[in-house]
Amino acid sequence: MPKKDLAADKSNHLKPSGVLLLLSVFVVATCGLIYELIAGTLASYLLGDSILQFSTIIGTYLFFMGVGSWLSKYVDGNLIKWFVSVEILVGLVGGCSAPLLFAIFEQVASFRIVLYAIVGITGVLVGLEIPLLMRVLKNNYVFKDLVSGIFTFDYVGGLLASFLFPLLLVPYLGLIRTSLLFGFLNLAVAWVVLYRFHEVRTYRRAYNTIIGGALLVFAALFVYAEKIMTFSETATYQDKVIYSKSTPYQRIVLTKNSREVRLYLNGNLQFSSNDEYRYHEALIHPAMQNMPNADRVLVLGGGDGLAVREILKYPGVGAVTLVDLDPGMTKMFQEDPMLVKLNNRSLLSTKVKVVNDDAYAFVRRDSGKYRVIIVDFPDPSNYSVGKLYTTAFYNEIYRILSDSGVVVVQSTSPYIGRRSFWCIDHTMANVGFHTIPYHAYVPSFGEWGFVLATKNYCWKNEGSFPAGLRFLNTDNLREMMFFPPDMAEVPTDVNKLNNQVLVRYFESDWGPYTH
Amino acid sequence: MSRRNFLLQLAAGGVVLLTGAGCGVRRGAGNIPGTIVGANSKTGHLLRNGGPYPEPHHTVEVNVLIVGGGISGLSAKRWLQQEGVKDVLLLEMDDHFGGNATYGQNPVSKYPWGAHYIPVPDLRNREILDFLHQIGTITGFDTAGLPIYNEYHLCHDPEERLFIDGIWQDGIVPENGVPAADKEQFRRFSAEVAAFKAAVGSDGRDAFAIPVDTSSADAVYRDLDRISFRQYLTQKGYTSRYLLWYLEYGCKDDFGTNLDGTSAWAGIHYFACRKGRGVNANSSSVLTWPEGNGFLMEHLKSQCVANEIKLRQLVYRIEPVDGGGMNAYVADMVTGKGFIVHAQKLLLATPQMVNKHLLKGYGERTAACAAFAYAPWLIANITVNGFEKQHGMPLCWDNVFYGKPSVGYVNANHQDLGRVSKNVLTFYKSYTDHDPATERNRLYAKTRSELLDEILDELDFVHPGITAQIEHADLWLWGHGMVAPKVGFMWGADRTAAAQPIDNRVFFGHSDLSGISIFEEAFYRGIHAAQQIVTAS
Repeated sequence: MPKKDLAADKSNHLKPSGVLLLLSVFVVATCGLIYELIAGTLASYLLGDSILQFSTIIGTYLFFMGVGSWLSKYVDGNLIKWFVSVEILVGLVGGCSAPLLFAIFEQVASFRIVLYAIVGITGVLVGLEIPLLMRVLKNNYVFKDLVSGIFTFDYVGGLLASFLFPLLLVPYLGLIRTSLLFGFLNLAVAWVVLYRFHEVRTYRRAYNTIIGGALLVFAALFVYAEKIMTFSETATYQDKVIYSKSTPYQRIVLTKNSREVRLYLNGNLQFSSNDEYRYHEALIHPAMQNMPNADRVLVLGGGDGLAVREILKYPGVGAVTLVDLDPGMTKMFQEDPMLVKLNNRSLLSTKVKVVNDDAYAFVRRDSGKYRVIIVDFPDPSNYSVGKLYTTAFYNEIYRILSDSGVVVVQSTSPYIGRRSFWCIDHTMANVGFHTIPYHAYVPSFGEWGFVLATKNYCWKNEGSFPAGLRFLNTDNLREMMFFPPDMAEVPTDVNKLNNQVLVRYFESDWGPYTH
Repeated sequence: MSRRNFLLQLAAGGVVLLTGAGCGVRRGAGNIPGTIVGANSKTGHLLRNGGPYPEPHHTVEVNVLIVGGGISGLSAKRWLQQEGVKDVLLLEMDDHFGGNATYGQNPVSKYPWGAHYIPVPDLRNREILDFLHQIGTITGFDTAGLPIYNEYHLCHDPEERLFIDGIWQDGIVPENGVPAADKEQFRRFSAEVAAFKAAVGSDGRDAFAIPVDTSSADAVYRDLDRISFRQYLTQKGYTSRYLLWYLEYGCKDDFGTNLDGTSAWAGIHYFACRKGRGVNANSSSVLTWPEGNGFLMEHLKSQCVANEIKLRQLVYRIEPVDGGGMNAYVADMVTGKGFIVHAQKLLLATPQMVNKHLLKGYGERTAACAAFAYAPWLIANITVNGFEKQHGMPLCWDNVFYGKPSVGYVNANHQDLGRVSKNVLTFYKSYTDHDPATERNRLYAKTRSELLDEILDELDFVHPGITAQIEHADLWLWGHGMVAPKVGFMWGADRTAAAQPIDNRVFFGHSDLSGISIFEEAFYRGIHAAQQIVTAS
C-alpha cells in the first residue's frame, strides 16, 4: 500500500505553502458568501420579497458550485496556475458585482439576467476552487486531515462572512465598497500564491499585469462608489419595481402589485393608488368647498398632480400654480400614460402652470395674492425640510395669501407625531393665522393630520363638495375636526429658523417607529 | 468614553484598517483647482520697503482724509456724513474695501474671507442697533424697546457641532465621552462667566463691556490683564483637558492666540461680554450671512458717498503743514501717479503696523505702534460637492474638530433657504505655536500645496474621502490677521498711547486700538474718531 507509506511521510506537519493554501480557502469561502449576500440584498432592494430573493440566489449559487465541482475533473495541467486564474476571475466578477448591479439598477428586466449570471459564474468559480485545492494539497496531507482542514476553513469563513456582512460591512462600507474590498482580497490571494509557488513563476509578469489592471479599476470604483450608488440603501420595496429613476433631487421609484401602484421618493411612501383619494380629498376639499371659484390657487409640493386633480374638480377654479422642485417628477406625471390616468391629466390642464423651483425661493419672490394655498411638503425629518415649517416661511405664506384666503398644510400624523403636528399648528398660529386642525384616516399612512388656516375666521364648512368624492362629505369633515384624547392638543414650542424644534420633535415622535 | 462608544469606535476603526480608507484614496492636493488670493501684499511691501514711490504731481484739498477702508474707516466716513461734515475723502490701498470683513463669491455661494458673524449686540450699543435697523437686520422694536431680529439673518438651526471620538455631537462644548469630573469643571467655569457677565465695577460700569474701553476701570477686573489666561485657569484649579481645549479654541477663534498668549482679561471678555437680547434672540444668538461680515461692510459702504471712497490709493507718508492740517502723500496704484492730499484733519483707520511706517516723523509714537502684535491666519474657501454619510449631528453652521490645530469650518451656504447640493466651506486656522513673526514667516514660506495638505489632513480626518469631493479651493493668507490681546496689552500704556490724537490734526480709529479684532470695536473706533474730529473742528 504505497499510499499508506506516503502518508507516513506526510505526517501532520503543515508546510508553509499548505498553510497558505488553507488560509486562501478561508478567504475564498468568505468572499464567495459575501458575494451571494450582496446579490441577495440588492435583489431584495430592487425586486422586493427578500425571502424569495435570498432563497433563489443561495439555491442558484449552491447549484452552480456543484457545476463548478463537476467541471473540475476536466481541469488538468498546472493546477496552481488554474487556481490563480480562478482566484483572479472570482475577484473580478465578485468585486465588480455590486457596482455593476447598481449601474444597471434602472433596467429591471436586464437586472435579473445580470444578477443570476453573476451568481452563476461566481458559483462555478468557487465550486472549482475547493476541488482544485484538494488536488493541489493531496500530496501534502493525509486525506482525512486534508478534508478536515479544507472544510473547517471553508465553514469558518462562511460564519465570519455572515456576521461581518450585516454588522460591519453594510453599515460602514456600503454594498459597493464591500464588494470591491472582497474582490481585492481574492486578487491578493492570487498574488500571494503567484509569488509563493515556483510552479507559476513564469506566469508572474502576465498575471501581474492583469491584477494591476484590476486593482486600478477597483480603486476607481472605490472612489466613485457613492456616485454609482445613487439611491438610498435603506429603501426596501415589498412589490415589483416598475419604474425607477434618480433625479438630481431624489430617487423616484414606482412599485406595483395586483391591487395598487405605489410611489416612493428616497424610499419614503408618497401614495398608494388604493387609498390616495382619501389623503388628497382630505387635503384639498375642506379648503376648496369654501372657495369653489378661487381665481388663484397655489400648490407647493405635490408634483404627482393628485392634489391638482382634486382642485380641478371645481369648474370655477381659475389659475393653478404648482411649484415642485423636481422636473423629473412633474415630467413623469405629465407623460407616463399610467400616471397621467391616475392624476386625470391634471398637470396637462391649461389652467395649470408647473414651476420647477425651490418652494422657499418661489414664495419669497412671489407677490400673491392667492385664494387657496396648498402646502404638501415631505415630513420635517431633517433641517433643510424643517425650514419649510418655520415662522419665517409661514410669514411669507401669510403675505402671499389674500385676506379672505385659505391655506392648508399637510402636517404629519397627529397620532404618531403628536407633538410635531401640534407644533405645526402652533407655529402657524404664532404668525397670526387662525388655525383649524383636522385629521383623516389613510390606511397606507395611518391617522394623518392637516392644518387649515385663515387670516380672519372666514372659513366655513358650508360649501358643497363636487360629485363623485369617495371619502369626504360635510358630516365626515365635521368629525375630522374632533381630536380624540390620544391625539389631543399638547403644548409645544414654536418652530423657528434659528430654533428648529419641529425636527427634534419629529425625530423623537417617529424614532420608535423607524429604528 | 463609554463602553458602547469604545466598541463602536473599535468597530469603525477595524473597518478603516481593513479598507485603508484612512490613508488610501486621497488625491494630490495640488490637483485641486484654485489659487492663493489675498490682501495685496505687493502694495503692502511697497510701504514696508519705503518705496519707490511716484513723484507727487498735484495737491488735493479736503477737510478730512480717512486712510483705510476697513470697517472702522467706513464707519467713520458714514458717521461724519451723518454729522453733516463735508468734503471727506477715504482712501484704501487694497483693491477692495472691508479689511477683515472681505468676502468672495462663486457660482455656489458667497463666502467670507474673514470675520463672519456678530453676536446679537448689547442693548446699550445703540449705534449698532440703529445701523442694524437701517439695513433690515432688525425689523422693529417691541413696546419694551427690545429689537425684533430678521429671522433670515439670525443664524439658523442647527448652529454648531463638534467632531469628537469619531462622532459629530450637537454643540461645541465637548460632551461625548467627557467624564463627569470634567463636566463639573465646565459647570464651574460657566457659573464664573455668568458672574463676570453680571459683574459691575466700583465705578458703576460693567466689568466686561463692548466697546472694550467702556469696561470698568476697577482693578479687581483690570488686574486680570497682568496674567495669561492659562495662568488664571491654573490658579482657579481648572485642569480638565476638555475645558482647556475649549477655552483655547475660543482664544484661537476670536483672537488668533493660544492660552499662554492671551491676557486673562481678554480671555474672559470673550465669554463675559455677550449680553445682547431681542424679542426673538438671546445673548447666545448670532447674526450671520453667507458673505459673513461682508454683508455689514457692503451696507456701510453703500451709506458712504460713492465717489468719496477710493480703492488702490496707497498713503505712504504724512507730514504736518505749517499753515495747518496734514499732507498725505498718495501713490495711485491704478495710474502709477503720485499726488498729495492736504487735509485739515487726518484719520488713520489703519492698523498700527501700517502707522509705524506713516508716523516715522513721530518717534515716541512708533514705539507704541511696535507693541502691537498680530496673529497670522490661513483661511480657505472650499467648494464641496456633497458629503459622504456622516455619523451624528448633520452639517451645521459652525463645525469644529476636537483636538485639531484649526478652529474648524463654517458652512457658507448655511443661511440658504433653498435646497443645496454643493457647499462652500470656509476653513479657519490661526498659527499660535510660536511668536507671530516666526509663524508669519513660516506661513508665507509654504506653497499652496503644502497649505492644502494641512487643511486636508484635518478635513479628511472628520470627513474621510472628502478630498475626492472637493471641486475648488482658494486660500487667503492673513499675515497680520488679528491684533493679539497679549498679557498686559489690554490695559497697558501702549494701547492708550497709540490712540491719542496728535496735535489735534491726526486721529486714530482702527479696531486694533481696542486690543481685539471684532466688528463692534471697529464700528465704534470709527465713530469715536469721527466724534473727536467733529469736536476738534
